[in-house]
Amino acid sequence: MIAACIKSIDDRSTHGLSPADEAAIEMALRHGEATGHTVIAVTVGGARADRGLRVALASGVKTAIRVDAPNDTESAAVAAALAPVVAHSATVWCGDYSADRGTGSVPAFLAAQLRRQQALGLISAEFVDPLRVTRRLDGGRREVLRITGPAVLSVEGSIARLRRASLRPALAAQSAEVLPYGTTVVPSGKTSPPAVRPYRPRARVLPAPSGATALDRLRVLTDSSAAPEPGETIEAGPAEAAARIIEVLRGWGYLELAE
Amino acid sequence: MPENDFDVVVVGAGPAGSCAAIEAARSGLRTLLLERGPFPGSKNMYGGVVYPRILDDLIPEWWNEAPLQRWVTRRSTMVLTDTQALTVDFRNEAWAAPPYNGATAHRPEFDRWLADHAVAAGATLLCDTTVTGLLRGEARRSGRVVTGVRTDRPDGDVTASVVIACDGVNSFIAKEAGLYGTPNPKDFTLGVKETLALPRQVIDQRFGVRDLEGVDIEIIGCTGGINGGGFVYTNLESIAVGVVLKLTSLAAQTTRPEEIIARMKRHAAIAPLVEGGELVEYSAHLIPEAGLRMMPEMTGNGLLIAGDAAALCLAAGIWLEGVNFAMGSGRYAGQTAVEAIAAGDVSQRGLRGYASRLSDTFVLRDHRKLRRAPELVLGDRVQHLYPSMITGMAERMFRVDNPSPKPGLRRIFREERKRAGVSRRALLRDSRDAFRSFG
Repeated sequence: MIAACIKSIDDRSTHGLSPADEAAIEMALRHGEATGHTVIAVTVGGARADRGLRVALASGVKTAIRVDAPNDTESAAVAAALAPVVAHSATVWCGDYSADRGTGSVPAFLAAQLRRQQALGLISAEFVDPLRVTRRLDGGRREVLRITGPAVLSVEGSIARLRRASLRPALAAQSAEVLPYGTTVVPSGKTSPPAVRPYRPRARVLPAPSGATALDRLRVLTDSSAAPEPGETIEAGPAEAAARIIEVLRGWGYLELAE
Repeated sequence: MPENDFDVVVVGAGPAGSCAAIEAARSGLRTLLLERGPFPGSKNMYGGVVYPRILDDLIPEWWNEAPLQRWVTRRSTMVLTDTQALTVDFRNEAWAAPPYNGATAHRPEFDRWLADHAVAAGATLLCDTTVTGLLRGEARRSGRVVTGVRTDRPDGDVTASVVIACDGVNSFIAKEAGLYGTPNPKDFTLGVKETLALPRQVIDQRFGVRDLEGVDIEIIGCTGGINGGGFVYTNLESIAVGVVLKLTSLAAQTTRPEEIIARMKRHAAIAPLVEGGELVEYSAHLIPEAGLRMMPEMTGNGLLIAGDAAALCLAAGIWLEGVNFAMGSGRYAGQTAVEAIAAGDVSQRGLRGYASRLSDTFVLRDHRKLRRAPELVLGDRVQHLYPSMITGMAERMFRVDNPSPKPGLRRIFREERKRAGVSRRALLRDSRDAFRSFG
């Protein structure tokens, strides 16, 4: 089974599914067609969210499930509500943002809940064995991953356009049953969200700059004309590499807070 | 003969379409309501006031559930020149209590609410679906008959006994069915609106209202050399400011609509009302403004036309209404479809009850009574000469010009009429037309 997790918004300024959520439905359908798996669509929200599920049903999704919850439920709670519903799905496709421009963190929370691998912000996918996907990285770089085993994947809206549903399935979807899931009580998102602040490394003590005059000392502090310290490339196994990274980070003072 | 997919297909989930669908679905007909936008109301734009009295028996106590903004308790008519303004202001506290009168509303909310009633009545609502044409067949007695619609979805044909076209101004369905003559640009205006966000308390203070009370200001003389009018409406936390411009007049010059709104907003009588408002929406829409003169034939074989699609917008100066005419005509179209299907005759003849329903009620009676009004109100003298004459008279009346004695009103009237360039004959003719139109 393959699942598409979507969020349908229905307020005055925003409505429906985001292009990313629509793309997630399309990718789930293509994945289902390539592998022969059944595709389900799941959402967490109020009754109005059914409209998004009906879009999925019209497009070819076999089953639509809604976990009833307030619309402002926070991401971790949404993921906790989704997890039991999609626990048996081989692959879970999500959009990387919702129509109300949330944090896009539900896929990551969901992967953590399910203890699965994740690949987020995908811009392409090839349905070969193993599944081959491409992520967008900073600076125009790309990361190509091969996905083996169950995974949670999130996609950008540009990856695919949702197929246009034929009239008969679209009509049938309007009266199709949306299955309620359990009686899960999802905590309201009214709990205060975690504080978000700009990252600020801990202050660390630096030796006083050397120089005979104030100008020289200023130059030492501010001059960037000198060659930068070269980066270090090491070749090592994961454990050794991780140890080296931690050592360097500690040297730079980044880990003092955690410790 | 194979059974139709639906008994009734309603095209367009605006006020007309939803009311038609409610009537049909409540009578047990299999009803499909098609909407091209992602949700009902998403494509709609209007001046700002709805008069839902026609809903009294369709949705009892609609005022308790309809998503409305403010009850209009103040109606003002303002005559402007570049530096002057004369306002007639009427306030009625009773309009802020049941059964109410008019209210401002956001159409995405109002239309969705009305469509939800159609769905609750049993209609199937399908959005994101555009009707691209009519399906036709041959009937033994009535010849060519509409048998359904073609949509833009794959395999998108839907058959129905009756199609009710509520597809708005410039109706492609009515045109395709040959019910419209050649459209004349003179019959249309362009409505252009800015929605400006302002705190609720600021609106209350500026417009002299409180709680859910609201104001509707209609303005003449604010559109420069272009024939038209302006408006300011209060929503709960925003105001709508806009102009309605005669299409041919707008096209004949180079000033853009947003510049005309900007000029109106700078006027000394308007600026204090809109100051500091943050532009949150800009929209424009064609309005069928010529009333009776431009209306199409309302029925075809298997086809009914309602709302703006049938040019049922009333633009008669002091009465600017459209949504109530849409809801009324939609209801009557739905009732007629029910009646015709029950009788087994959906030909033009079988659907003739629609014309009589429209004729016997406010829908066509108001239009008939006010048939001369649109031309009079948008005429050159009302637009360009009378504002100057009227405000000039007011200025002379209230000016204290000592040591000169006050002039008599007849003298003021005569002199200001001449100054504004209004001939006595033209004034007599317009007075007669106004009396006939509004009397």
